[in-house]
Amino acid sequence: MTQATAPSARALWRLLLVACLLAPAWVGAAPPQRIVSLVPGLTESLCALGACARLVGTDRYSNWPSEVQALPKLGGLDDAQVERIAALRPDLVLAAPSARAVQRLEALGLRVIVLHTRSHQDVRHNLLRLGAELGDEARAQQVWRQIEAQMAEAAARVPAALRGRSVYFEVESSPYAAGPTSFIGETLVQLGLNNIVPAALGPFPKLSPEFVVRAQPELVIAEARNLQDMAQRPGWAALRALQRQRLCSFPTERYEVLVRPGPRMGLAALQLADCLAAIGKDQGMDAR
Amino acid sequence: MTAALRAQDLSVALGGTPVLHGVSVDLPPGWTAIIGPNGAGKSTLLRALAGLLPRQGGQVWLQGRPLDDWSVRERAQRIAWLAQQGQAQGDLTVRELVHLGRLPHLGLFGTPGPQDEHRVDAAMQATECADWQHRRLQQLSGGERQRCLLARVLAVGAPVLLLDEPTTHLDPPHQVAVVRLLQGLARQGTVASVLHDLPLALQADQVLLMRAGRVVACAAHDDPQLHAAICEVFEHAVRIQRVGGRYIALPHLD
Amino acid sequence: MQRRRRRLLWALAAASGVLMLAGLAAGGDGWSWAGFTQLLQGPDAGLIVGQIRAPRTLGAWLTGALLGLAGAVAQGLFRNPLADPFLLGSASGASLAVVAVLAAGTLGAQGLGPPAAGMLSRVGLVAAAFAGALGGVLLTLMLARGAQHTLRLLLAGVVVGVVLTAVSDLLTLAAPEALRGRQVFMLGSTGFLGWDSCLMLGSGLVLALPMAQRLSRTLDALVLGEDSARSLGLALPQLRLALICLLAAATGLAVSQAGLVAFVGLAAPHLVRRYAPGPHGYTLLASAAAGAVLLLAADVAARTLIAPQELPVGVLTAVFGGTYLLLLLNRQSPS
Repeated sequence: MTQATAPSARALWRLLLVACLLAPAWVGAAPPQRIVSLVPGLTESLCALGACARLVGTDRYSNWPSEVQALPKLGGLDDAQVERIAALRPDLVLAAPSARAVQRLEALGLRVIVLHTRSHQDVRHNLLRLGAELGDEARAQQVWRQIEAQMAEAAARVPAALRGRSVYFEVESSPYAAGPTSFIGETLVQLGLNNIVPAALGPFPKLSPEFVVRAQPELVIAEARNLQDMAQRPGWAALRALQRQRLCSFPTERYEVLVRPGPRMGLAALQLADCLAAIGKDQGMDAR
Repeated sequence: MTAALRAQDLSVALGGTPVLHGVSVDLPPGWTAIIGPNGAGKSTLLRALAGLLPRQGGQVWLQGRPLDDWSVRERAQRIAWLAQQGQAQGDLTVRELVHLGRLPHLGLFGTPGPQDEHRVDAAMQATECADWQHRRLQQLSGGERQRCLLARVLAVGAPVLLLDEPTTHLDPPHQVAVVRLLQGLARQGTVASVLHDLPLALQADQVLLMRAGRVVACAAHDDPQLHAAICEVFEHAVRIQRVGGRYIALPHLD
Repeated sequence: MQRRRRRLLWALAAASGVLMLAGLAAGGDGWSWAGFTQLLQGPDAGLIVGQIRAPRTLGAWLTGALLGLAGAVAQGLFRNPLADPFLLGSASGASLAVVAVLAAGTLGAQGLGPPAAGMLSRVGLVAAAFAGALGGVLLTLMLARGAQHTLRLLLAGVVVGVVLTAVSDLLTLAAPEALRGRQVFMLGSTGFLGWDSCLMLGSGLVLALPMAQRLSRTLDALVLGEDSARSLGLALPQLRLALICLLAAATGLAVSQAGLVAFVGLAAPHLVRRYAPGPHGYTLLASAAAGAVLLLAADVAARTLIAPQELPVGVLTAVFGGTYLLLLLNRQSPS
């Protein structure tokens, strides 16, 4: 260093020193190193943000990505095993609202963040929030942009002839359907499909089978095992979608991707779009 | 002598159906037996006199004051009532059951003293159940249980005893013992008992004959008009005869 | 007789002591004495043993005591050995309240209105369950028009139970995400009992036991039948109301902390009556102790049987209690 730069070097060191002292104030506490996630969607979000290695335990339903499967499973949200969670000494626990475990863990001095995971907005909000916690907001923004790109791509892949058609997405065989206000319902809307379930019925209404048959959805999407005997249900053989095989059947693993609110939602949309594209190609798309 | 318990124009309805129609009754000191055909309202009368049923009309006086003027606890100390169908199951011992008779005096919180134990002992002696006072109720026969329930009533030490069928389940020796007991008690207080057993009822000082919710006759046990009324009310199925110094009722089979 | 009663109490006290030690040693890794001593020497001792295992063990004991007491009161009040503390609508009321809180989010979107739903979701599950239990009993009392007639009370209790369960089912139809939480509540869980829970349970027990003792003579007198009890100078309607309030409060407190734990309230008085029957002054106290031991045993077993997983404690109380009642049934003489 020459004489001229010495004072500026000193100033620089001072600045750095001050910055380091102030760092805790504007960065907040150090980013969490040991995280427990009790919500599968949040587990996936953490891994999407590259923090998979920081996970020390998850709930029993978190199963993606594969690294997560080896982690200790700590029960569900409603029967979380408090002792095992505490024994892992996490510095952050992720949970959903109205879980009894939240109060108990907070009483034990653990830091708990409660996040909703019901809509597309929630996923975005959670990604950004987790990104901020991990000190890597840029990455979070990047992940979300990628999801948005995937959604746009999926919307583009849906054949024009299928846009605006009515769809019935079955969640349970009773039958429970996914309404447009549910997470998967929002994806379907983004793909340009009309839900036979009106929004006023809520996210997962239990429909009367007659309603579905009379609504005559042009597309039916369900888990493979529910689709297997759907035609045997009384009156359901009349569904034109079943007769003409305008179906999207998903085995359990791929079905889970569809209904889980998390960073794979773009992937889910692409899965659906691919299925719809296949239907469009097979059927040549005659008039409604 | 003033009646310890008195009723005037008593009207009681059970479940909407009138059971007692304007019954007037005087229970003087001594033993009154209440008899009558089934459904005459005997048990209802006893219940109403004990203050256990709401009245649709009329008034009951206990020791000169209207029954309602007494508090529930004061009433319980002065009137002891024995239920017709003696309910007593469970894990209490005989002594603990008889001890319940001291409730009107101890209340919920009082600690039993030597006087209470003495009363309990005396009651069990009088009904001959002291020998098995530590046996549980479940292990008793019908007759033994009846004697315990009677002892419970005696343990109250009330001046007025209202007993509904006190001789149920009892064999003849114990029936006689109860009659002697009632006669002894009647000398110091007032005893009224509903009895189905006519021969026993005729040993009382006074007999009250009821039919269809009304008093047909109320007279001393040796009153010939009472006897005639009894035969008439029981549709001449019984005949009353004098044997030795006592009156008995015989079934009329000829 | 006196000796048997004293012996039973001593036996229950000893069992409590042993099980409490077991509760401190049993944990997420199952049962291992070496593991326990290691834990005690490690840095986590204060947290794991002091903050988690100790209050959970004590809490299970206290909850069982409340349920045992409530069960004895119910069986004495209704003079029915099959009565349990959940008779008067407390279980269904608590369950409905829990479902309502869990479904608050969906309900808000569907007509309840966001502000009401927001308030509902902030109400803790514990407070909701307690309020629901008391509400259920209140509804029963209103339907039966007071505590006048036992039979009417029982019928009203059944009606309220059925209706509230139906409403709860409807709520879970609209908001299926509440189903899992409801199932966990109905199976019972001692996993969330901390020192604050112990404080609530302990205060409740300390208040309830003396009150129950004072009312015990009423239950004794009821053995003679209602009319005889009244003829002994007892103000039955008021005393019955007091007993029902005691029952509701004890049950509500236990259920709000640990969910609907089955069989403890039913089996504990039977256990006491089998070995050392007596007047209610003794039976209520002994039933509380028996219930405490029963639930604590189930809690320790729940933690250790399939460690590191946990069984719901209600499953184990059903197995223990149910087996015990089955044995009782077999041993009963035909009389």
